[in-house]
Amino acid sequence: MENVRILNRIVEINIANVKYADIELSGNTCFVGTNNFGKTSLQRAILFFYSANSRGLGISASQKPFEEHYFRYENSYLIYEISTEEKPFFVIVYRHNKLVFRFVDAAYNPDYFFNENDEAIKIKEVIAGFDKRGIFISNQIDTFERYRNILYGTETDKQLSKFHILKGNEKYQNIPKSITNVFLSSKSSIDSRFIKDFIANSLTTENSSIKLEQVERQLRQFNEKYSDIETYLKKDSQQLIEFIDKKYDQVHMLKGAQMEMADKLGSSLRYAETQNEAVIKAAKEKEEELEKLADAHEEQKTVLEEKQKDVREEIGYYDRTIRDANKKLKEYKEKNIEQAVEKNAEREKLQVDLNIARREYESLTSNVQNIEMKYSSLIEQLRNDKTAYINKINSRTGEIFNHYNELQLLQKNEFSKKDTELKQKREDALVNLNAEVTAKQIEFNELKAEEKVIRNTRFYETEIKAQETELAELRAINYKNKSERAIKTNLVQTNQKEWENLEQKLKSSLSNQIQKTNNEIIRIKAEIKAIEDKLNVQHDAFYGYLEKNVKDWHTTIGKVVNEELLFRTDLNPTKVEGAVASFYGLNLKLDEVNVVSKTIEEYQFEKNERLAMIRDLEESMNQFQAANNEEKMVAADKFGKQLGELKEDLKVLNYSLELADKREKKLILEIEDWKQRASSEIEESLTGNKQKINLVEEELAILNKKKNNILNDFNTQLDKLKAFNDERLADLKGRQETEINELEVEKKNQVKEYEEKEASLSNEKESNFKEKGVDSKEIKKIDARIKELQEALKEIEQYSQIVSDYLKDKREIFDKLPDLIQKKDEYVKTANDLSAELEEIGRKYNVRRMELNKQKRALEEELIEFNNGINYFTKNFRETPVFNKYADIIERAEPKKTNYSVMDLCTQLLKNDSHFNEEYGAFQRYVNEFAGKFRLDNHFNFIIRNDATQGEYERFAQNLRAFINENKIELSIAETATQIGLVTDSIATKVKELSGQKDKIQHIITLIAEDFKKAEFEESKLIEFIKIRLEDSDNKVYKLLKRIQEFREENGLVYNEGLFNTDFATHKNREISTRAVKLLDQLRTAIKEQEQEEIRLQDLFELRFNIKEGMNETGWTHKIDSIGSTGTDILVKAIIYITLLHVFIKESSHRGSTEFKVHCIIDEVGQISAHYLRELLRFAKNRNIMMINGLPNKSGLEAHYKFTYQFRREENNNVRIFPSIVTEVEA
Amino acid sequence: MEEYNFNLPKQTHDIFAVMARGAFISSNGTRDGMNRLYDVINNPENFDRLQAYFNVIRYNIERGNNFFYFSKLHEPNSEIEKKLERFERYIDIIDLFASMDNKIGIGSRFRPSEIAEECNANVRLKQKLQKIPLYRSETLHNKVREICDLMSRDSFLELEDEKTESYKVLDSYTYLLDIINSVAIYEESGSGDDTQGLIYN
Repeated sequence: MENVRILNRIVEINIANVKYADIELSGNTCFVGTNNFGKTSLQRAILFFYSANSRGLGISASQKPFEEHYFRYENSYLIYEISTEEKPFFVIVYRHNKLVFRFVDAAYNPDYFFNENDEAIKIKEVIAGFDKRGIFISNQIDTFERYRNILYGTETDKQLSKFHILKGNEKYQNIPKSITNVFLSSKSSIDSRFIKDFIANSLTTENSSIKLEQVERQLRQFNEKYSDIETYLKKDSQQLIEFIDKKYDQVHMLKGAQMEMADKLGSSLRYAETQNEAVIKAAKEKEEELEKLADAHEEQKTVLEEKQKDVREEIGYYDRTIRDANKKLKEYKEKNIEQAVEKNAEREKLQVDLNIARREYESLTSNVQNIEMKYSSLIEQLRNDKTAYINKINSRTGEIFNHYNELQLLQKNEFSKKDTELKQKREDALVNLNAEVTAKQIEFNELKAEEKVIRNTRFYETEIKAQETELAELRAINYKNKSERAIKTNLVQTNQKEWENLEQKLKSSLSNQIQKTNNEIIRIKAEIKAIEDKLNVQHDAFYGYLEKNVKDWHTTIGKVVNEELLFRTDLNPTKVEGAVASFYGLNLKLDEVNVVSKTIEEYQFEKNERLAMIRDLEESMNQFQAANNEEKMVAADKFGKQLGELKEDLKVLNYSLELADKREKKLILEIEDWKQRASSEIEESLTGNKQKINLVEEELAILNKKKNNILNDFNTQLDKLKAFNDERLADLKGRQETEINELEVEKKNQVKEYEEKEASLSNEKESNFKEKGVDSKEIKKIDARIKELQEALKEIEQYSQIVSDYLKDKREIFDKLPDLIQKKDEYVKTANDLSAELEEIGRKYNVRRMELNKQKRALEEELIEFNNGINYFTKNFRETPVFNKYADIIERAEPKKTNYSVMDLCTQLLKNDSHFNEEYGAFQRYVNEFAGKFRLDNHFNFIIRNDATQGEYERFAQNLRAFINENKIELSIAETATQIGLVTDSIATKVKELSGQKDKIQHIITLIAEDFKKAEFEESKLIEFIKIRLEDSDNKVYKLLKRIQEFREENGLVYNEGLFNTDFATHKNREISTRAVKLLDQLRTAIKEQEQEEIRLQDLFELRFNIKEGMNETGWTHKIDSIGSTGTDILVKAIIYITLLHVFIKESSHRGSTEFKVHCIIDEVGQISAHYLRELLRFAKNRNIMMINGLPNKSGLEAHYKFTYQFRREENNNVRIFPSIVTEVEA
Repeated sequence: MEEYNFNLPKQTHDIFAVMARGAFISSNGTRDGMNRLYDVINNPENFDRLQAYFNVIRYNIERGNNFFYFSKLHEPNSEIEKKLERFERYIDIIDLFASMDNKIGIGSRFRPSEIAEECNANVRLKQKLQKIPLYRSETLHNKVREICDLMSRDSFLELEDEKTESYKVLDSYTYLLDIINSVAIYEESGSGDDTQGLIYN
């Protein structure tokens, strides 16, 4: 056994189709078997030892997984025995749900796994067996990772640390990867891509690639957001937003108005329905009330008129009596009644005087009684004759007088009769007329009273008052709202300012932080550069010299040397042979002195530390920006919401004020209208009234005219009658006077004759008396006196009747006249009072009647309106879509009286709905157009379905408004700006991370190139040289990624607000952003076009080979597919693999750990010639690599291997693997 | 013709490829970067250059409300006639679209199935749809699909989501509406010889 660590054997127990196989692997091994016999399966099992990665074994997805295919039973075991410098140990792999490992500190022995019946025992029993035997068996190793750590010597557990095949360093993972890659590599041509993949895969983990899908997703997300914002910021979109906002307000307002109106309609309808009966009843009541009022009035009027009539009669009576009395008095006066009364008072005295005179006369004449007697009888006779004559004449005069008087009386009677008849006729004619006139007069008075009432009536007082109250309330609310608006506007401004200040603060804090971070990064980068400079020159500097030539120099020179000196390349140090450890000939005790020099690792560590610092700084910058954004968002959320709410409130207030203004104007107009209506009503009422008055006046005039005509007519007739009467009377009187005068003349003549005769008798008598001596003078005197007295008495007698009448009248009438006048005055007063009372009653009645009529008319009108409204509603509204739209509101409304009629409301609703539809259509169009500008899944969620409801459209507008109010676009811009920063940063980081490995590649390539040089091809001269070189990648996506990384490094983190052409974007920021956006866009397009899933390490560079085999030189090429024969190709390929494996093993293992060998598993090498195979095996052996190859059949090639195993399928389909007996001719 | 003399935008070829086949470039189109192309043309500097460039090859860029299209300079009457014939079919389509409950306008998003359903439920619409000539699809749905397909080809619609078959109405739809609005219909005046059905302004 060699004194090296190597996978010595693999044992399969119940693995796949193999029941048991024990295969030695301590030298080059060859498996011979036809296809599908299990060669590759076995090779995979060997590979699994190195890689411990069941998924990296090249098992296709269509095949059963490694675990299931290999470990079918609970007693399926894979056992790997590893030889060491001391005693071997082995690893058991078995399935315990998943694959697990146990290390056993002993050489493999089948007895451990089989019972006496040669049956494989279960793991528990196996473990028990070890315990029993006192053999150390490790705990179960559950993870592949831990297994690898143990196998490659990085396990810290002391119990397990001895179970390693080699001592790997931190890069030990490259070893299993390399072995795996060789096994999995393409079987035919050698493409530089494969080598690239090999190198890259060996250097990287699965995660160290740039997943383009992820990048593309990030880019897409950014791009979509960017495009959304760009669309939003477009002028057209902004215009549409304004339109939507305006239209939404209009639509909202119209809808509100419609709903209000629908509510009013509903209320009016309910009111009409509920009030119909009540109104009919009320109208009937009014009618009855009117009738009652008229009856009561009539009754009252009749009573008063009766009274008035009585009074009038009284007045008439007194008036007549007084008039008659006055007339009589006048007549008496005309007859000098006063003198008559005076004279009548003297009658007694005169009678006494007469009697005295007579007695005196008789005493005087008692002597001459005969003569006296004779003459007295003669005179008496004469006188009698005369008297008789006079009497006769008087009688005739009296007859004539009486006759004519009679005629006159007749005439008078006739006249009187005719007059009375005429007057009666006139009266008759006038009675109706007067009644009519009186009625008209009353009507006229009533109308006048009504006019007065109308003029004093305030029509629509309730309505006007209600509206004035509403106006006052509205103004009060307006005032309140205006002050609230002012306060809120102030609040908005304050908040806005506060927000702006905060944003400004955040912005400046961010830019300060960016500046600070960038400065810090620049500083650290400078430090890194300094370290890198040191590392770059260290080979050729004093430091490199010390590393190469002076052992442990850090503990000697390292304690006293200046760091600058260490990295100087111009010191040309030379070692003085035999010189003792001294410092310019001095010995220094440096034990206590600290080492000042640093190892390369320390420099590397410092560099890494600084890189980490940069990452930390960037990370903290990111966090700061995230926090900054968060703060921005919080502020936007806080202020945006507040502002949004305030703005919304302001909008509502403005809207309320606008509405209130409109309402105020409307109210003012309505009040005016009501007033106008009131005055129109007055005018209308007055017009009717005036017309009536005019009519009545006209009628009165006509009646008066008629009356006058009748009067005139009758007066003419009366006048004529009177004239005729007067004429007739005058004629009669004339004839009477003529006849009487004739008689008087006759009488006078006769009386003269008689008087002459009497005088002659008297003279004769006197002469006789004289003759007889009697004093005739005295007698004459007495006689004269008697005559005088008789005359006086006669005169008195003449007036006695009239005086008697007068006295009687005086007693009965004239003395009572003052009383009568007083009584008449009293009656006149009473009559006036009654008239006034009557007038007052009439006025009151008229007012009340008008009022009632008005109320009744109003009720009737209301009723008509109700019915019309309900009819209109049923016929013209109920079936319309408008009703359906507001049916809920209309039907749920409370019965309430409104100022509007149902018909007006229906008409208005229909009219408004058409307007609303127009406006809503426009609103919808704007929303659709606006939403249509954005992607279907835009991040603002500006999306509206075509069949969206009104509510959804309105919500869209509301959300849009909230979006604007809360200034979400700024947030979105900030987010997108952050996103572009993060995306570029993420790309830059990934590219940097990946590019960071480029140095390793360069290093590996250098090593490979050197290894190629060292290849001992000289011996066979088969291959003159294999050259390899590194070139820049021509991967378009990688180039763009690189440009983004460079851009990122050039400009630092792209935290800018210049992403969009906003106010605060500076020109520089804009330019940077534009470039960033452009680059990202190009990258996205390139990713799409290239259809590559990821950018791996191998995409970062290109490899070119130049191989000369014999006379053939390939030149610098990517692909080595036609160097020579297939065998040559396989050889070259194998050489390259082995080289790569060697390089990686060397790089990945501890420097001191050289005593180990690994396997290189290359399956199909059947076409290689024996010569080449030998060459290859030797090439591998020189690099401590054992080959495991597969051959389809025995061809002699197997003779070059230490171990050869054959595969055979048995009847039970099991595969048997058995060693082939060959002679080893191994190189 | 050397593009470089005109200092043309790099999208010139794309623009030409779209518009030369009679299609429109609308600002709200998203497929194939249509909105980007619109922005490029809409840039005043680019517009003048493109106009000058295309004029050389006897094309004129016409600007509509948020869309662009080509008109040909000195186009023969026969071509115009053909265009009018092609346009005729749109009269019925637009009539149908305008009669829908949810009117289809710029930016509207809809699925053919929605239109078909509405037509199916509404006799008037159904008749309108059935009246539209040129199509022989058996079901209403397929007929609407064909209409949408036609309109997409003519770049009035855009198939936004193939899975849900969701279409979006592009700004170029205005072009159709404008033409419809500029059609004056003269009533027949008895036996006059100058009687015409449709006059295209």
